[in-house]
Amino acid sequence: MKNFLKSKGFREVLRILLALLIGLTLGFIITLFVSDDPIAAYKAFLFGPVSRLNRIGDWLEESLTLILLGLAVCIVFSASQWYIGVEGQMVLGALVSGVVVLFVPLPPVWRITLAFIAAMAVAFVWAIIPAILKAYLNANELVTSLMLNTVALKLFEYLLKNFIMPEKARSLSSDMIPDELRLPSFIPNLPIFTEVRELWMKQTSVTAMVYVIIAAVIFAYFLLYKTSFGYELRTVGSNKKFARFGGINVNRTIVLSMTVSGIFAGLAGVHLSLAIYNRVMMGMSFGLGFEGINIAILAGNNPLAVPIAALLYGYLRAGADVMERTSDVSRELVVVIQALVLLLVTAERLLPTIQRRISDQREENNNNNKIKDTKRTLKGDPNES
Amino acid sequence: MSLDVVIRSVLSALFISSVIRISTPIILPALGGLIAISAGVPNMALEGLMVVGAFTGVVVSAFTGNVWLAILCGIAASVLIVWLMAFFHLHLNTDLFIAGLAINLLCSSGTVFLLYTLTGDKGNSASLASLSVPNIHIPIIKDIPFLGTVLSGHNVFTYLALILAILVYIFLYHTRFGTHLRAVGENPEAATSLGINVKRVRMIALLLSAVFASLGGMNLSMAYLQLFQRDMAAGRGWIGIAAVHLGGRTPLGTVLASVLFGFSDAIANQLGSLKIPTQLVQMIPYLTTVGALVVYGIQKKRAAQERMKKYQRENIDQLAEKAVESE
Repeated sequence: MKNFLKSKGFREVLRILLALLIGLTLGFIITLFVSDDPIAAYKAFLFGPVSRLNRIGDWLEESLTLILLGLAVCIVFSASQWYIGVEGQMVLGALVSGVVVLFVPLPPVWRITLAFIAAMAVAFVWAIIPAILKAYLNANELVTSLMLNTVALKLFEYLLKNFIMPEKARSLSSDMIPDELRLPSFIPNLPIFTEVRELWMKQTSVTAMVYVIIAAVIFAYFLLYKTSFGYELRTVGSNKKFARFGGINVNRTIVLSMTVSGIFAGLAGVHLSLAIYNRVMMGMSFGLGFEGINIAILAGNNPLAVPIAALLYGYLRAGADVMERTSDVSRELVVVIQALVLLLVTAERLLPTIQRRISDQREENNNNNKIKDTKRTLKGDPNES
Repeated sequence: MSLDVVIRSVLSALFISSVIRISTPIILPALGGLIAISAGVPNMALEGLMVVGAFTGVVVSAFTGNVWLAILCGIAASVLIVWLMAFFHLHLNTDLFIAGLAINLLCSSGTVFLLYTLTGDKGNSASLASLSVPNIHIPIIKDIPFLGTVLSGHNVFTYLALILAILVYIFLYHTRFGTHLRAVGENPEAATSLGINVKRVRMIALLLSAVFASLGGMNLSMAYLQLFQRDMAAGRGWIGIAAVHLGGRTPLGTVLASVLFGFSDAIANQLGSLKIPTQLVQMIPYLTTVGALVVYGIQKKRAAQERMKKYQRENIDQLAEKAVESE
């Protein structure tokens, strides 16, 4: 028990909970100022998502997208690449998968399979641009990926408006995907489940994508922690020079870190167009890509922790939606809370006593190493000549 | 409208004047970014700080009716927010990049939240009677045919940006504190050993960068337009960061790079009158940013290779000379 209390994981969880508590408290204080009925508003925010079945569905749907985005960001952040192009990859994934399902003349199963593959491939390829620029020309990936996000969004709008949208449509949206081409519900079609299944299908659109996502979480975990590619990725992330001297092809790893993340971001796009909205349309939950960053950071870049973080943030977002619909407080409050939580979670010294001791120790070690290094240089390193 | 009309209008004085106008809200945050990067603390929150400045300026001007007070408040609001970020980074060891992202989130959604609370509208502040800064007509110059259109009649912020660009140059290269600031950016350990308080210098650099960003934001909401729009900066803060990189981290380079983006934006506006789909035209400034970073990267790489070659050649020459001497 004592060991558990001192373990790193427990401290992390404690820190996150503390940050959440502070964030939610501040959120409540803000609500007190702006709302006529702050208690009701905050109640809607905190308990809204579980108050009705369709709201639970909304929460789960959003969380599933967030899981995929969190995984995508985990992979690039593990390699310490500040790449935030996940948004653009998701947008293109949504577009391509929707187009394939709507227009490619293949039997349903093949069509959907092709849609998945196409979306992942496009998201993979899209990241090649910033990846190569970063790896070979050292162009700031943050800036390039952000610029390309906008380009992707404009491309989406252009293609949707000029080629995909039916002529008489009033809103910027494609036709609905016909019923036989939709993903089945996540509850298997067995006699015992018939009633539950029908109830869920009516109220929510949580689809069989759930299983794909569970597989994706496990796949990401294995990729990062059980394969040599994952090891290379993390080594590049923690120390580029060391990785280079260790014989790792750093440039290749950087390129792969961004492109592989595209696989997950592309899937997130698939989830948007094939599971949640059942069509391609403007303003399909865009902006979620940045939530992926929040989630990856909250999960400490650990794929297995991503679902928890995603469910948590999905809950906050769903709660904010309910709050906006039922009270006079706007949903942006939740993003303010999230930003505060993000700041607090990443503040290394939030739990002062424990943290300071550790950081002091680390510093002492560093200093010792430095002293050793200096001595070695002064003496002249025997290995060098 | 046909292409030759576009070309003719691009060569006109009005076009050059519009380039200057469009470049201003990029030059200002870029200069802020330059100061921060020079101190070794790249400020990723410029975008959000611009939005906060723009929002505060509009709201204060609407409620007090005083433009100058509004500008001061806009600056103060951005500085306060960046202080929060700097505090988290410098004293609580939050990663600066993540802190920057968090602040961006805070600013972009926080302003929408407050806008909704104040006006009941999430899109813009059209219902608030906000003010704008006056345009300045420079006495004698305004009557010269071509030059008058180009140089005169801009808003206060444009002239302020040009003056500030010069001041930043003087500050960074010709003042004691500017030298300290660059020293901290180059090598914080060495700076510490010389008795410079690294944290204090970095804090001041970040606060200064916020002043610039907020001015850029207010340029958008109190001169460019006369209202606040949700996410008004529209990526200009990020383009500003790109401009700093592109300009080789020098004041002149940064300004020139910002003008390049202003130019591509202005071109896009002109092309909008042709029958090219708007979405494709709107991509131009962003693609220019990426393209410019590519060119810069290639140049830098080539320069490094040249240096390497030169060094190797010198080495070979020296060896050859030695060989000759020993014979």
